[in-house]
Parts: sequence; structure tokens; C-alpha cells
Amino acid sequence: MDHFPTNWGRPRNDAQDLYNTYPLHQRPNNTPKDVFADGVQRTQQPIVTGTSILAILYKDGIMMAADTLASYGSLSRFKTIQRLQSVGENTVIGASGDMSDFQYVQSILEELMIEEFTANDQNELGPAEIHEYLSRVYYARRSKMNPLWNSVLVGGKKDGKRFLAYVDLLGTTYSASTLATGYGAYIALPLLRSAVEGREDELTEEQAQKLLTDCMRVLFYRDARSLDKFQIAKVTDEGVVISDPIKLDTTWGFAEKIRGYGPQTQ
Amino acid sequence: MPDGSFSHPQQRSFNPYTENGGTILAIAGADFTVIAGDTRQSEGYSIQTRYAPKVFRLTDRAVLAVNGFAADGNMFVKKVKQRLEWYRHAHAKDMPLRAIARLIQTMLYAQRFFPYYVYNILGGIEEDGTGAVYSFDPVGSYEREACRAAGAAQSLVQPFLDNQIYFKNQQAAPGQSHPLHLPLSDVLSIVIDSFTSATERHIEVGDGLEMYVVLAKGRSAQGLEGGRGVQELTTRTDGDRVFVIRRELKKD
Amino acid sequence: MSIMEYNGGSVIAMVGKDCVAIASDLRLGVQSLSISSNFQKIFPVTDRIYVGLPGLASDVTTLHEQFRYRVNMYTIKEEREIEPQTFAQMVSSTLYERRFGPYFIEPVIAGMQRTPSGSYEPFIAATDLIGCLNFAKDFVVAGTASSELFGAAEGLWEPDLEAEDLFETISQTLLNAVDRDTFSGWGAVVHVMTKDKVITRTLKGRMD
Repeated sequence: MDHFPTNWGRPRNDAQDLYNTYPLHQRPNNTPKDVFADGVQRTQQPIVTGTSILAILYKDGIMMAADTLASYGSLSRFKTIQRLQSVGENTVIGASGDMSDFQYVQSILEELMIEEFTANDQNELGPAEIHEYLSRVYYARRSKMNPLWNSVLVGGKKDGKRFLAYVDLLGTTYSASTLATGYGAYIALPLLRSAVEGREDELTEEQAQKLLTDCMRVLFYRDARSLDKFQIAKVTDEGVVISDPIKLDTTWGFAEKIRGYGPQTQ
Repeated sequence: MPDGSFSHPQQRSFNPYTENGGTILAIAGADFTVIAGDTRQSEGYSIQTRYAPKVFRLTDRAVLAVNGFAADGNMFVKKVKQRLEWYRHAHAKDMPLRAIARLIQTMLYAQRFFPYYVYNILGGIEEDGTGAVYSFDPVGSYEREACRAAGAAQSLVQPFLDNQIYFKNQQAAPGQSHPLHLPLSDVLSIVIDSFTSATERHIEVGDGLEMYVVLAKGRSAQGLEGGRGVQELTTRTDGDRVFVIRRELKKD
Repeated sequence: MSIMEYNGGSVIAMVGKDCVAIASDLRLGVQSLSISSNFQKIFPVTDRIYVGLPGLASDVTTLHEQFRYRVNMYTIKEEREIEPQTFAQMVSSTLYERRFGPYFIEPVIAGMQRTPSGSYEPFIAATDLIGCLNFAKDFVVAGTASSELFGAAEGLWEPDLEAEDLFETISQTLLNAVDRDTFSGWGAVVHVMTKDKVITRTLKGRMD
């Protein structure tokens, strides 16, 4: 019996899955080799992780979705974690990857927004500025070989202009009308692109919400590190609204017909 | 071997680099330069976005194309632009092209032991009014040339350019010689052909094409103004002029 | 260092209007050291088929002998000449027989295929080192300069070239491609085949 829960249900080789928990007991031995050795611990691997984030442009602004799960390896460790966060009046960010790194980023953003507020110049940072700031933070940390292990989506609407962009642990940035991180980039992004590209100014709020819900359902069916509880954030001229957790309605009737899943023995 | 033991300490080190695909290219004419790049940004087999510019206007006479690791590329362009602004404030004029080239070499070599993983091609108009292309390696070795391709499809495009720009392996008709410089319309056709070819055979190239054209002062714009997908980016009158021409490439 | 790049060399074949062309460089090297500037990589199979064998030089000889033997056996048994299409399948199965210990060769086949009406149409094909066939309608490339050949050919080739124009196109494609590859070059040979003749030309190239 393997007594280490981080090994349960894992493939034999986890070298490829960057955003997953690294088994704790296998972590490289970083303890100081002598009294003069550097005592600083660096994030070499994510521990408690969040999976995909999805985001799209639509007629009135931007919409973003994320489930509420924070995994510890294959263990569904925290099931009511909020991975979408508003920053000021016009911006929302969502993060996948290491949740403690994300919470650190949330704290420095809060600090930043307070500092900007105290300037009292009636000027608030918009989504473009937040994204630029985050890209500098993430790029600076990767350049110190001490990355913040996340893929982050930044979305918002300010002065009538919609904004949607990505930044990750390497400081890589890009912008598009549909974005997704993690498994979402493989599974949901093709669905999002075919529904949104070229229709950014026509898609209604209802259509956008249904599209994201459908994609979250597809992800829940296929991404083993996902949950059927998720939140949707929207940023419009009216500001940021992050929904309460929504439960996905899913169908499992087909399961009993699958050999090895239902009651059949052979 | 997740056997829970420390006997084989598994070492995983963080890799601060990645490759984001794409290709860039520049060709110098007698009194103009074309600097082009596709707009696809990818990582592995995923297309991250279909529009991420790799070519940037630095001044009215200098354009820089960057290719390789996108985060390093964007940061490098940002820093070059910052240095050029400081120069403008100190000297009340734009930095000459050959000085920008040397600046870029110094900035790249400064990071010799943690390099910007980026191939740079600088194009524009020299102070004597001639078109010029400077190409760099990631640690700053550089050279002035008439044409250069770099990036994912460099090996596909460069032989074609050798043939069509330098007339390599071609013999001029008796009593005639090959032109030293081609006219702008020919150069633009060759650039478009190069990118459609690269798009056809390389998965990391495609989506969109941006061709920057820098014209020497006093040269006629020759139907560039008001052309399809053409936009002028010049900031001052009666100097060198910068245009950008945008074209679609296949998206598969 | 990859064994596919040990001796160097490249081959390309192109289709024209009622003609085909196949061409290769002439270099034989041992990694970066050049040994010979007249190493044959393209071999006649029948009057209407040529096969190019870029890759490991020792396997060039072995496979050439192997194909000669199999084509002779085919001719004796069937009492007729092998067709390019059939020969391509023979190449493929010969290579796949060694699926888990392959010959380090990526063959290129060019020929004039007999049609049911009795006329001839151009045929080209290429395989990887374990025999995966690629029947292209335009051109096929192989060898250490393959990416350079792809780029140059994609830019220079056009449909329905006459024999002389096809010769110029394949020659320019090959010469400019191998000049950007350290493992290929040192001269070239080009065969242009029409329904009733083959013209073979040896080209002078850069010797560096």
C-alpha cells in the first residue's frame, strides 16, 4: 500500500504536468548543505493547484469562468476556493496553477490599489495597467529563477474599451478575443473560438454565459482536476460582477453502459 | 519511480525559457527597407494568439523585429525604446540607425550569462539615406547585410532569399549584370511569397503578416499611400517615413 | 549527432508537364569532414524509374543492392518491367521489414508511370526511413537539407513546367538549398525524364 496520498491516482511520470502538485516526499533536497548555504526556499513546483480559467469577449464586455476547486495532487483538497478576483472597479483576474502564489499576487495587487487610491488623483488602474503590472511581476520573478507558478487571465472594460489578456510564470503575455489556461486551452478553447471569433460585438450576455457554462461542463467531464461548481465573472460598463458558485447540471445516465464503469463485471 | 524513497532524488529545475515560434525577415533596398514578421504566437502545438506583433517601429527611420522567447522579446523592445527616448531627451534628435545597432549589441551582450533568448533584426535608413539591415544573435554578435531571415522558418526562407535577392547560383545574361538593389514592388512580392511558402510548410508560421516599409527622405511613396491594408506611422514631416502593410496568412 | 546526418546528402524530385526530375548533391562526408565530391545517391532502377537514397552511406549501397535484387526477381517472375507505383510499394515494404532496426535512408522515387491508355504520366514519391509513403503531386524532398529544400521549392516550383524549365527550377532549388546546409553540396546531379528520354546533367556548385 502506498501511504502517500499525493501518489494516489497519479501517472507514473508527472514530469510533463507543470501545474500539478509535486509529490511532497519526492521534492528535491533543498535543505542547506552547510551553515553558509542559502536558506531561501524557491517555488520549484506548484503544491495546491487550480485548473483551467476561461474568458471571452462579448457584446457588453468580458466574461470569465473558473471552477472553485484547489487540488492537492489528485486530492480535491479545497472545494470552495474563489479563483476569480476583482481588482478595482473595472478589472477581474483569474488564476490557475499554484493557489498560494495566486493569493500572494492578490495581496500585492491589493497593496498596489490602496497605494494608487491614496494618491487621490481620481485615477484608477484599468485592466491594461493591471495586466502590464502583473506581467512585470511575473517576468521579474522568472528572471530571478524564483517564479510565481501561475497562468493568469486579466479581463475588464474601462472607458468603453474591452480588454482581455494572459500572463504566466515565464512572463509570457498575449491577447485574444478568447483565452483559456491549462486543459481549457486544449479542450474549451476550440469551442470558444468557433463560437466567439468574429462575433465579439454580437454575442449577448445570455449567449456568453451559456457558452462558458457549456465549456465548463465539457471540462468537468474530461478534466480530472476539475469540479462541477464554478463561478462566472463579468465586467461591463456597470463594473465587475462575480457570481455566486453555480452547480453544473450533468448527465451520468450513459455511465452504466460503459464497461468497467457500470455494474457489469465483464 | 514514485517509490517514496530518497534514493533517487528527483531533480526538476525551473526552465526560464520557452520558444514562441514565428518568423521574421528584412530586406534592404537602395533607399528603402522592408522589415516583416508573421503575427502568430504559439507554444508547443497550441496557438496562443493569432495576433501578437513581432515587428516594432522604433523611430521614423528604424524598425526592430524580434523572434524567439516572446516574454524576453517584448521586454527587450521595451528597454530599447526606453533607451531611445532617453537619447532623444539628451540630444534632441533620433538616434541614427548604426548607433541603434551598436546599442542593441551592447544591451544583448550585457546579458551574456542569462541571455535574452531572442533573434533580432533591425532595419531602416542609414544617415546617408541608404537602406540597411542589421541582424543579431541572442548574445549580440551583429552584422550589416542586405537581407536576413530568422526564427522558426529561417532554414526555409533564407535559401529562397539568397536566390531571389542576392541572385545566388544565377548567371546574368551575357553583357549584363544582376541589379544590386531591387525595386520596392519586387521586394514586397518576394516577402509575401516567402511568408506564404513558410506558412505552407511550417506549423508555427501563419495567421497574419506585417510588413514595415521605411522610405528614405525625399523618396516618392510610389502608390504605398492609400494602398490596401497600408497605414503610415511617420511622426514628423519631411524626414524618413514608416509604413506598415498588413496581410492575411493561412490560419491552419 | 544523429546517424541521419553522419554522411550528409540531400535529394529532391519534382513533377512537370509530362516530365519528372530528380536531383541530388554529390557530397560524401564523415560529420563535418568532406570525403568525396562524386558520391552517387541517385540510381536508375528501370528505364523509367530513378531512386534517390540520401542517408547513411553504407546503407545507400546495401539498399541499392537490395532494390536491384528485388527488381530483378520481379522482372523474372512477372516477365515485365516494374512500374514506378509498384516500385514505391516495394521500397516501402523493404524498409518496413526492418521496422525496429531500420536502414538510415529516406528514399525518393521518380519515374514515368504507364497509364491504362498506354501513355505516360509523371510519378514521384518519398518515404521516411521505415517506409511511410508520401505520394506528392508537386515535389518531394529528403536528406539533411530537407527544410531548406522545402522552403526553396515552395517558393520556386509552379505547376506544368516544361522539361527545360523544370530542369532550371529543380537545379536552382537544390543548389540554393544545399548552400545553406553544411552537410550537403559539393556539386549536384540532375536527371530530367520525359516519356522517351532522360537528360542527365552534372552541375558545378559551391565547393565550401
